[in-house]
Parts: sequence; C-alpha cells; structure tokens
Amino acid sequence: MMRVSKRSFVLRSLLASLLGVLCTIQLTPLSAADLAPPKVLGFERLNGTPALPEIAAGELLLGELNCTSCHAADGALASRVDKKPAPILSDVGNRVRPEYLRGFLNDPAATKAGTTMPNVLATLPEEERKEVVEALVHFLSSTGEVEDQAPRKMNANRGEALYGSVGCLACHDPRPTDGSLVPALKASISLGKPSRKFALPGLAKFLEDPLAVRPGARMPHMNLGQADSVAIASFLLNDLEMATGLEFVVVPGSFTKLPDFSQAKVAATGEAEDFTVDVTKLKENFALRFDGQIDLPIDGEYEFFLYSDDGSRLLIDAEVVIDHDGVHAPAEKSKKKKLTAGKHSVAVEYFEQSGGEELRVQVKLPGAARRPLADFIVAGKKSETSAAVAPPKFALNLDLAVKGRDLFSSLGCASCHAMKISGEPIDSKLTSKPLSQLKLESGCLAITPQPKTAWFPLSELQRKAIVAAVKGAASQTSKLVGNDAVHRQLTTFNCYACHARGDIGGVDEAHDAFFLTTTKEMGDEGRLPPPLTGVGAKLKPEWTKKVVAEGNKVRPYILTKMPKFGGNLPSFAAEVAAADEKLVPAAPLAQEQWKDRKFKAAGKQLVGAQGLGCIKCHVWGDKAIPGIQAMSLTTMAERLNPNWFHPYMINPVQFRPGTRMPTAWPDGKATLPSVLNGDTNKQVQAIWAYLLDGKEASAPAGLTTGAIELVAYDEAIIYRNFIEGAGPRAIAVGYPQKLNLAFDANGMRLALIWQNSFMDASKHWQGRGVGFQPPLGDNVVKFPEVVPFATLTAAETVWPKEIAKDQGYKFRGYKLVEKLQPVFLYSFGDIEVEDFFEPIGSDGLFFLRRTVTLTSKSSPDRLYFLAAQGGTIKETADGGFQVDNGFTVRLPKDTKAVLRESEGKSQLLIPVEFTNGKATITETFDW
Amino acid sequence: MNSLPSIGRCTLVFLCSLFMASMLSAQDPQKQPDPNKEETYYKLESFPIPEHISLEAGSLEYLPNKTLAISTRRGDIFVLADPFIKDPADATFKLWASGLHEVLGLAYKDGWLYATQRCELTRIKDSNNDGKADVFETVSDGWEINGDYHEYAFGSKFDKDGNVWVVLCLTGSFSSAVKYRGWCLRINEDGKVLPTCSGIRSPGGIGMNCAGDMFYTDNQGPWNGACALKWLKPGSFQGHPGGNKWYKETGEAIGPAPKEPKSGSRMMVEAKLIPELEPPCCYFPYPEMGQSAAGVVCDTTNGKFGPFAGQLFVTDQSHSTVMRVCLEKVDGHYQGACIPFRQGFTSGALSILFANDDTMFVGGTNRGWGSRGSKPDSLDRVVWTGELPFEIHEMHAKKDGFEVIFTKPVDPKAAGDVASYKLTTYQHIYQSAYGSPKVDHTTPTITKVEVAADGKSARLFVEQLQEGHVHELHLDGVRSAVGLKLLHPVAYYTLNYIPQ
Repeated sequence: MMRVSKRSFVLRSLLASLLGVLCTIQLTPLSAADLAPPKVLGFERLNGTPALPEIAAGELLLGELNCTSCHAADGALASRVDKKPAPILSDVGNRVRPEYLRGFLNDPAATKAGTTMPNVLATLPEEERKEVVEALVHFLSSTGEVEDQAPRKMNANRGEALYGSVGCLACHDPRPTDGSLVPALKASISLGKPSRKFALPGLAKFLEDPLAVRPGARMPHMNLGQADSVAIASFLLNDLEMATGLEFVVVPGSFTKLPDFSQAKVAATGEAEDFTVDVTKLKENFALRFDGQIDLPIDGEYEFFLYSDDGSRLLIDAEVVIDHDGVHAPAEKSKKKKLTAGKHSVAVEYFEQSGGEELRVQVKLPGAARRPLADFIVAGKKSETSAAVAPPKFALNLDLAVKGRDLFSSLGCASCHAMKISGEPIDSKLTSKPLSQLKLESGCLAITPQPKTAWFPLSELQRKAIVAAVKGAASQTSKLVGNDAVHRQLTTFNCYACHARGDIGGVDEAHDAFFLTTTKEMGDEGRLPPPLTGVGAKLKPEWTKKVVAEGNKVRPYILTKMPKFGGNLPSFAAEVAAADEKLVPAAPLAQEQWKDRKFKAAGKQLVGAQGLGCIKCHVWGDKAIPGIQAMSLTTMAERLNPNWFHPYMINPVQFRPGTRMPTAWPDGKATLPSVLNGDTNKQVQAIWAYLLDGKEASAPAGLTTGAIELVAYDEAIIYRNFIEGAGPRAIAVGYPQKLNLAFDANGMRLALIWQNSFMDASKHWQGRGVGFQPPLGDNVVKFPEVVPFATLTAAETVWPKEIAKDQGYKFRGYKLVEKLQPVFLYSFGDIEVEDFFEPIGSDGLFFLRRTVTLTSKSSPDRLYFLAAQGGTIKETADGGFQVDNGFTVRLPKDTKAVLRESEGKSQLLIPVEFTNGKATITETFDW
Repeated sequence: MNSLPSIGRCTLVFLCSLFMASMLSAQDPQKQPDPNKEETYYKLESFPIPEHISLEAGSLEYLPNKTLAISTRRGDIFVLADPFIKDPADATFKLWASGLHEVLGLAYKDGWLYATQRCELTRIKDSNNDGKADVFETVSDGWEINGDYHEYAFGSKFDKDGNVWVVLCLTGSFSSAVKYRGWCLRINEDGKVLPTCSGIRSPGGIGMNCAGDMFYTDNQGPWNGACALKWLKPGSFQGHPGGNKWYKETGEAIGPAPKEPKSGSRMMVEAKLIPELEPPCCYFPYPEMGQSAAGVVCDTTNGKFGPFAGQLFVTDQSHSTVMRVCLEKVDGHYQGACIPFRQGFTSGALSILFANDDTMFVGGTNRGWGSRGSKPDSLDRVVWTGELPFEIHEMHAKKDGFEVIFTKPVDPKAAGDVASYKLTTYQHIYQSAYGSPKVDHTTPTITKVEVAADGKSARLFVEQLQEGHVHELHLDGVRSAVGLKLLHPVAYYTLNYIPQ
C-alpha cells in the first residue's frame, strides 16, 4: 500500500502555505469577505434577537459546524452542543459525481455557497492542492458509480408541485421554472444547480431517505416514498435533458379486438409521458401500444387496474397480466401480481372502435393508495446525444484512490465523516487541541485561511458568537433543560420555520405563500403547521415522540408534511412535557366512568349530527361529511392529554386564539341540556370516554346516510341543482313514466335524457352540498353543448359555438302544465320559445316527445333547429334517424329535415318555417 | 298498542294537558318570573317540524293573507297558514312550490312571490289557485354560477324603488371565478341588473333598516377579521377585493375599481386611502357574540315587540342566537354597537322576519355548519311578554366618550360609579389570510360618568378612544333603580369614526 508520509506532507504544506501567502495576496485573496459564510438556518433566523443570545448562538454554531468533532468540548459545554454529523460517505461514489467532488474539495464555499464544510486545503499551493483533491476524488469515487438516468418531464412537473407544497420551501429557496428571478430568502438554503452534483437515481434515493446519508436530520426525512422522491429529484434536475419514458405506436384500423402489433401497419410512433389516448388525434378506429420500463420500490403483491373503452391489455415482463379485450363500454379490470423490486418491462395495448375512447392504467402498491402506473415509469440511460456534451467519463485510478484513503484519514476528513470501506470504518488520524486550549483568533476562526488548519469563511457575528461560547463555557455550567432545551432543539432543527412557540418562530411573511392547503375555507388552521405553544401540555409525550421520530399526517389538508427526524431529538418529548406541564390545571377527569357504556353512548350522541355536530367539521376515520373535514376525531384520544382536552373543549379560543372551533359550553354552560342533565364536565368527559375507543368506536350518527332518491309518482318532479353534464343551472325533470331529462338553463339546451331512476339528492341535501351529481338512472344520452337554433346563411355555415347568453338567448323560466310537466321558456332576438317535453306511449313503452313552439313578429328566414348531432346519423328503414349507437330521433312525416356533415359531425337540421308568426317543431326520442 | 282509537288519543292528550295546566297554575302563585332570564321578557316558541319535510329555512316572507311563506335550502316553499296559532304544535306546513335551487330570499309583491335562488331571481305564482305554484318566471339570471357550493345568493325584500338586492358569495372564500361573485346587485322589476357594491365575501343575510338603507352580514374569512354587519351603500367597496375584476363589466355603473387594499393593514388605515371602502358598521366579536352572522331584520313593530323599535336584529347561525344592533350615523357612515338579545333557538338561526307587527320569526338550519341549537331545521317565534327588560337600549359615540341609554331608570349611584364599567378595545388585521386575531389591545380610561336626571342614560367620559377599534364595554356594576342587573351587561361598539 502506498502511503504519503505525514511528515513530508506537513512540511510541504508549510512551505507551500508560506509561498501561498506570498503569492496569493494579489492573485486569489481568499478571505471571509469574498465567500458566503456557512449557512446555519437557526442562526440566520434568530441571530441578533433575544431568542438567540450570543453564547447560545455560539453553542449552536459549534454543533452545526461540527467544531467539536475535532476540538473536544468538555463538561457542560459538551452537553449543550448538539453535534451535526457530517454526511456518511460509505457509498458517496454512487451519489455524487466525481467532477463535483473535485470542485467542492478544491474550494467548498466557492462551489456551494453557505456550505458548513470547512476548506481544509486552502493554503496548499495550487499544484499540490490539485494532487490532494484528485486523490480524494478517486478514493471517494471508488465507492461506487453515479448512474445517469434522464428525468422524465411528467415527473419533473409533478415534482415541481411537490417541491412547492410538501415543505421543501420551509428551508430552501423557490425555484421558478419560468425564468423569473427570486431573491434569496433569509433563513433559507439555495439549492443552486443540483445536476452538477447528482444524477437522478442518486438524488431520488437521497430524498427518499436523507437520514441514511445525513443522520443528523438537519435535512429531515419527508416520508416522500419512492415515486414522489423521483418526482422531486426530476424537478431539481430539470436543467438536464428530459425523457418521456414511454414509446408508442399508432395503428389505424377498424378493430373488434386487439390487433397483433408485431404484424400491424404502424402509422405513427412517438414518445409519451403516460398511457393515454391523447397521444393520437384519432377518435375512432385505431389501436395503440405503449412500451416502457417501470421501477418498483419493493418486493410484494401489486394490484394493477386497467380501465378502458374499448379493449386493452396490460403486459409486464412480456406476460399478459390483465386481458380486457373486445368492444366494450368504459369498464375496469384489476389483477394482483407478485413482483420483485426493481425494473420490469411494461406494455399496454389498446384499441378504439367508435364512441367514447378512454384508457387509464393504475397500480396499487402493497398497503398504499392507487396511483398512475406512469409514476413508476423510468427512462433508460441518458441518450447518446446528451452523453456527447457531458464531460468525459471518469476513469478510476486505484493508486490515487489508495492515496486518497490515507489523506481522508490524515487530513481529518474522517473526524467528521463516517465512512466504511468493506465494512471497516476509517478512523481519523488528525488530532486537534480541545476547545478549551484554543487561542480563538487563528486557525478555523482566522479571517483568512491559515496553514495546517481547516478554515470557514465565517461572518463576523458567527466568529464572535463562537468565541463567546467557548470563552463563556465556564459560566454555562449546566446542561440545557426544560424550555431551554426545547427552544435549542427547535432552533437547531429549524422547526421554527413552520411552527411558532410563544413569540418565536412560525411561518414568516416571506414564506407564507408556500404553505398550502387542500381546503382554503379552513383558513390558516388548515394551512399552517400548528403552533407548539403549550404543546407539551396538549399532547401525550408518547405521541410527541412518535411524531418527531416518524413524521406525521393527522392534518391531511395541510400540504406541508411534518417530517421525520429519527432519533435526533431524543429528549424533546419529555422536555416539552416538563416545560408545559403546568399550563393546564388538572381537569375533573371522570376516569371511573370512561369505561361505562352508557356514559360513552352519551358521548357518541354529543359527537353526532343531532348532538353537538362535531362531525360536521371533523372527519371520523375514513368517513367524512363534505365540507371542512378537520382532523379525525378517531385520533384525538391517542394524541391528546385529557387534562388539556377538557378545558380546550370548553374554551378553545383560550388555547388557540382565532380558532374556528366553536364551543358548546359558552361560559361553561351546556347548550344541550338534554344530555347528562346539561352537566358541562360530564358532557366533555363523556365525549372523551367515547373518543378513547379511537377507530374501534362505532361511528356517530349523521356520518353515513344513504341515497335520497327522488321519485316521480303521479306527477312530474323537478330538481334544480348542479348536475353533471347539464351544468350549474341544470333543471332536471323526472316523469312518472320513468323517463327523465335535464335542461341546461345556462346553455338553453336539452342536456341529458335517461331512463329509470331520476336523481339522488344526497350529495346536495347532506352536508354543504359539494359538487355535481350525475343522473341516477340508466341509458344516459348526452346532447351537444350548443344552442338549439341558428341562422344558417349557406349550406356550409357552421353551427355557432358561442355560449347562449352571448348569442342573445335569455332564459325566461317555466310553467307547469298538466301533471306538473314543465314547459321551458326562453327567447332570442324577437323570438319567444316554448320547449315542452312529455312522455308518450303506453304499456310501459314510452318515448320522449319534444314540442318546440316559436313566436316571432319578424319571422326570420333561414333559421334552423338542431334536432340531433353525432358522429354519424343514419336514416333507419322506418324513417327514423339513428344517432351513433345511442338513440333514434323520429320526426313527423311532413318534416323537411336536412341531414348534413359539418366539421366532422353529422347534423340533423329542421328548418323553422313561421306561419302567422308561429312555428312548431316536433321530435321524439327513442332510446 | 300500535294505534289508539282517535277518540281515545284525544282524551289522553286532553287529560295530559289538563294535568299540565293544573301543575302550572298550582305553581304560578309562588313562582315569580326570574328577572335575570331572557324568557321572562321574550318567549321563544318552536314549531314542531313534521318528520316528512325538511324546513331548512333559507328565507321567510309574510304574505297579505296573513300566512307565512318559508323557503328552504332543499328548494321547497312551504306556507304556514296559521303562524300565530296559539299552540305551534297545531300549525300545518303546506308545500306550495318545489324544485327550486336553494332559496335564500323571498319577497312578496303584487301577487307574485319573488324567490332568490342560487341561479336566478324568479317570480312565482299560483295562476289557477289550486294551492300550488305553477308559473316560475325568471326575472334575472344576471350573475354566473360555477358549481361551487359556496356560491350562495341571498335576496332582500323590495326596497322603496322596487328593487330586490342580491348579495352573491364568492366562489369559495378567496376568489370570484365567474361574473359578479362577491358583488351586491340590485334587480328592478324589469329584471334589469344594477351592480351596486363589490367586496363581498360570504354573506349570511340581507335586510333594510327603517330608513330603507340596505345592510348585509359578512362572515369571518379573508379580508374579514370577524363577522360583521355592513352597509351596502351603493357604489361602495365592502372590503374583499376578490370580485373587483368585474368592475370592468359594469360599464362604469359605479365608477372604476377601487385601489387594491394592502394586506396586513388595518381597516381604517385603508378606508382613508380607499374612498370607496365602507368599513363594517358593527363587528360581532368572534367568538363571544357569534361565529356565523346571518339574517338581518329591522324592528318595525313600533313598540309592539318591546322597547327596541327601529333597531336591527341579526341572527347567528353557529350560536343559535339573535343579536341586537343599534346604529347611528357619524361622518355619513353607519356605525354602532351589538348587544346580546336572545339565545336558545332550535337550530342554526338563519332567516329572520317580523310579522303582524308584533312577532319575530326565526328559521334555522345546521346542515353543513354546526350550531348550538341541535335540530337539523327549525321555525321559532319570539313573542314579547309585555315585561320590560332592563337592558342597554342604545349606545352612542361622543367625541370624548359614550352615551349609554337604558330601557329603565338606573340607580344613579351604581351607574354613576366609574368602577361599574370596564372598557377595553382592540381591532383586527385587515388581511388576505383567513380571519384575524384581535390585535392592538388598549384599555382607555373612563374618567367620569354622569347619569341623566331621568336616570335613563349615562354619559361616559373616556380618555383615549381608539379610532377603528371595537370598544368592548362591560357594565357589570350598573343597577336599575330597583336594583336589577342588566339582562345583558355588555355592548360592543365599532368606533370607526369618532364624532367631532
């Protein structure tokens, strides 16, 4: 084994540094003023405020800059410094590009502004520094190889949204993709250009589990999972050439089952992001095949879902997993399959004959929710073209690597960085004086680099703080406890970026816009991480411990994730509990009654819709009423301290100023006297007793209700609401003959007709009534979103597409005639229209007849009524007009209908002919 | 026993009521009504809601034939033929119209019932007199809806010019996705739409004062630090800029869009910079007074409902209460105080109406938003017992303090003592984020109290009144001439303008 003699190295460095000092004065004056000082977020945030006095700031920096890894602290100071371990480098070669290592080792702060890694080689002469750096680069890169893989555009887009929402922005600068410049934020780390350092697989792996490399959790574990880590990594690497990941072929032809793609005539090929019919403009008579590769995160049983109209097939590793062939309406098939972690080839085949075209491919990971299979698609290696512009491939020199390994030990890299080679840890051979023996004006703390020592471009404030902490060590005789310990941990781990505790921290104005919610109506409570004021009294210590160690998502509406800090804050839960213990007095707990079933039943009654209605705003496990959906009631007992729950329920505002949580006991008096005699304490305790059963408790009343089916018995009924396919101003009519329609009073058009059941009103008549409700019955026919009348000056004049109001249509309402059947009234120009529908027929066989009556003084010419429109309209043997495969329109014998093709569609037009200012048109729908 | 023979059942009911009556009469001589209870002065009587109907009462209207029309969130209109029937349990609800879209406004005129639905203002008539409506004419659909549940439309009664005023909730809390969300529109008999005010967020009701000026309630949320009563002064901006993009569509009907308010500021700071910005006339402190301000009605009973003629009554859906608001005009702007009035409504109190010149009707719902009243739907009536409560009647701002007027003469000693009062102030952050904490707390000094010779009012001299602040006045030490405590010893005065 080759070794660099330590002595000769030191001698040479001495000489070199002397020379260096002489030579570099004019050339590269390296000094703290030129470089960004190491960025420690807790210091940036609180420095100069009473929340971080100078000595405390110094102690923070001693830990964050890892000073005590070389310079031992002793006594109380050691206990007050929480050392941030440097990244573990055992497989750094898999993660970090050699080119980046070269630049970074040569000058860390110039390569990565704000780095907390000191410059260890600053005073070496150029040539020698190069040699040392090169040896270290070869050594570090001997631990693995960076695998290049092109990021996929789709993932990068998804990653952009995730980067902007999951909480990355609490600590990192925004990265706008529109080229706009954003000023660097205070207490925020710029990520620069991560593609210099990482390739996709390495960065994604790091993001998925940062603690594996950086066990100190200053970058915490965000519980992203593999797919989201890949997405965020793809976004961070979006300056690289992007790939799509899927290749597809289009095969035109009228198929009734999937063609043999190996024999088929391919009309077009391309690259796609997702398995979607949007890759082609064809709407019917075509087939598609997608090919790509998926990368699965774990071994296990995966469930695949294939939804299509018409036929489709899913193949994994060239084996058919789901066969969903044949002409059919939109339908889904699923299949489970055991697969190993890693890469598998995937293919999806699809064809469309006519009518609707849909394709969706999803996968459900063991124990997780469904997601698009495309999320797991990976691109291949970087393409040849991008390799050409990439730097020449790194060639490992083993001799240099061996030399580097010795330097890693002798230069003290190993003092901070844990590293194992073949399972053997590398020890540092560097010895340094303990802190108490340092002079505190030279070495690491000097204004310019000094020989033989590491060097940080510290700011003056940082330098002063460190000096104060070391000098003040003697006066700080005790370990931090209670609130001081809590405050230090919240500072160190930058918890204050998201959480306020007392007057300190919380989301500041510059970051406010980055905290997003799924439910804006919840206000800041639904958007901002909760304050930690009094949290030690509020939460059970076991829960606090779990949340800190594992991260958490009890507030799913807050898009920012509570990250996982592993074992890094071991004393936090106990310290915060001790610090806050006295904030709530002992509540009158009814412990002896908590198991009493009658008492619990009273609690259940209070929680339910006709009690205090807690469930109107709170989720119950996986059940919820549409609306606010605040945190689940089934987690309360697991999380909360009962002593805190009691007074909080009676007066929430006292604990959380501005909360929207109402009280049912204003001034301590029960508003519901009928339960438990209106005894406030008993009521609160009964709720607690009920909540103690968590998910095991039976759900409270009012949470699940069935359909509210509206039925027309002897007369027509009307349902006016948001109806899917008929818009927000829909008027649905159900007829006793089991025919139904929906009129769109915005578009002034017949929007839908269907048979059998009319409407389910439960969506709109329960809770707040969120969303559009589709028809309840069968055979729903959708009509085109165009106005019913148009003046066509020539045979080829296209049907107008402007919205009805802009064409002068006015809705006038309706009148109810016999059997409460409505006649819709509207007008345009000087024409008044009465549009009447009625079921005709007998013996259970009914058709819907539409009679449109127009009245006009001007009796305009060339006015047409659109009786039907579709892909194809065929005249049937009995004189009807069949529209696609959906329905048939029948017209009275003497109707002068015109069938024409316009803009790729078939239209059945009826000229409007006025007699004495009046015209009547009749059509009957048979479907 | 599945069913009692009808005679038997009647007998049973009769016997029960006799028994109850005898119990009551037996108790009456001993029991003096408790002077500290609201029910001593205002009786709250609930109409049992038949099981087969949902009476989530969005709006109420009193019809010339002395019946009460009740519109519901499910889109029905019921008619209560006998709203003043002695026992509300004997009242019958008759379905008059159905199939409408969440009706939150009813107004009667010339044989037509005008209903404000989510989607339009419709006038409805029973043309063949069969007891069911059959003509539904669209008066105006001059606003858009997007399908968001928040897009409520509350309609007023007719103003003196024959307009119905409609206040339109934003799309959600923050934005105006389609035209005129976040606006107040006036709609005349011909259906002509007159854009009237922008700046609305999430109304809970609309109503006029006795002078015919229109007010609405807006709820805590973005740009609304707390729920408040606001004056829909034509041309004004009510504070939430979400809908201001529609100014360009108004054809300058009310001038150009006002300047954008600065988030994080204070209401009166911005009101000085933005002339169109009309500050809320009265905040309803959150959560002391309520959490969902809703219906507004003026006491037009000329004293038949007690001492509060001319004042406004406002419901709170969340607290199931009715509050009282007395307003005055200072510098051309309405401002004033809110005072608790009556609690204990059966469901979330929403719609409110005076009928027959003496009875208050309150309709309720708690669907989607919980309330202290635990029933899903309700119709309650409030009747004055004729007993005069000892209450704060009015509160007026003065350049150096307040004047508090009482419903009964006070004990001059207690009412003249500075220590009988406690005055604190605060305001809200005027901001784009949801709601606001109470900020800028102060404690002005009451230096002196002068009680009027007739004992009916007290003049408080105050140092350091705070412009723009809610002045929270507690009068725990004040006693009536016969030693009674005030029924509600607190008033919250929103002092936007200090009279000079």
